Amino acid sequence: MNSWNSLWKWGGVALLAYVILRGFSTPLQPGFVQASPSRLAPGIATIALDAIGQPFATATDAHEAFTLILRSGEGLIQTELTGLTPHRVEAKVAIPATLPSPALDAFLFTPEAGTLFLGNAFFVEDAANGSLPAEVVAAPPAEQEPQLGFSFPFQPNILESVRNLLWHVPMWFAMFFVMGIGFVASLAQLRTGKVNWDHRAEAAVRTGLVFGLLGLATGSLWARWTWGAWWVSDPQLNGALVTVLLYSGYMVLRAAMVEDERAGRIAAVYNVFAFVMLVILLMVLPRYTESLHPGKDGNPGFNSYDLDNSLRAVFYPAVIGWGALCYWMYTLRLRMNRLEHHLLTR
Amino acid sequence: MNVKSMASILTSALEGFFFGSGKAHVVTGVALVILAGLAISLWRMDRRLSRLESEQNDPNA
Repeated sequence: MNSWNSLWKWGGVALLAYVILRGFSTPLQPGFVQASPSRLAPGIATIALDAIGQPFATATDAHEAFTLILRSGEGLIQTELTGLTPHRVEAKVAIPATLPSPALDAFLFTPEAGTLFLGNAFFVEDAANGSLPAEVVAAPPAEQEPQLGFSFPFQPNILESVRNLLWHVPMWFAMFFVMGIGFVASLAQLRTGKVNWDHRAEAAVRTGLVFGLLGLATGSLWARWTWGAWWVSDPQLNGALVTVLLYSGYMVLRAAMVEDERAGRIAAVYNVFAFVMLVILLMVLPRYTESLHPGKDGNPGFNSYDLDNSLRAVFYPAVIGWGALCYWMYTLRLRMNRLEHHLLTR
Repeated sequence: MNVKSMASILTSALEGFFFGSGKAHVVTGVALVILAGLAISLWRMDRRLSRLESEQNDPNA
């Protein structure tokens, strides 16, 4: 075994160690998750908004540096800050009797953490439809660039589970990678008829199935706590399920046939077909259909908007690391296939 | 306490666990699922190698 042969394996493990350390220790940018009370009436009201993630204020920060504004339609309503803690802001607000819209969005302008936003934070009951009285109208302050350091983006509903991007998505990348190896091996087998290529294709599909099943399981768990259901009937999800089932069919087909050259050719033809279906179902169709799953434009794994530079710096090492681990598992299965072939034909 | 109310207590505990701390525990759950999957995969490879070893030692088996 030469040194390169173990170098890439430990390189992959080192990348994954970096991903785990960075993925779990990087803080989330601050964002609002809750407003109270959710229902208001015209008159003076005391409101509070709770955030998670990095603190957006310190205990010693002056209230004047922060501005909380409520938006009704296009109109902006001023508030008076009464309390400020690292994850909570409290304010007094005079709700007018006429509003452009009863649903109020909240904006908190901070000196260092950028602007925090919560859509439909409050609902005003018993307000007439009309324009805002001039005395409550606020002038928006100049927006400050956030100075947060290395942190993951805050996204409503996804919250801390944005870190799953580093686990769930590389499973599919690894599967795609190793199924690609299987595809090339099956093509080469059909051309040359050599059993060595059959060993490669079988090892690749078997390894790819492990990652495909892990991608389905992790996606299902993630969906349960962001979309509220273990499975939603969605082109991207069903396409992934059909792909995994197609490859399971490959394993069933192999198990059902006596191993000979003809069986190997049938399996190779099926594998070429399965990979074409994988590309269509996972890469092509999701771009032309409506889906809950992110990644409508660009890559079907995520939006280019979702993946900011901080996530990129951990996500790419995760893809390479999982790819290396997946390839390692593939080589182990390949060696076992060769050993078995050797034992059966001696 | 019947089975149904015990199940509902367990379910609500699970809900609270995964929704708490801004859903950070969903990430822990996902990492554990992957670890379990890799462990099962390793275990299957282990079994297959054991079978090959016994075939090597006893060609008539």
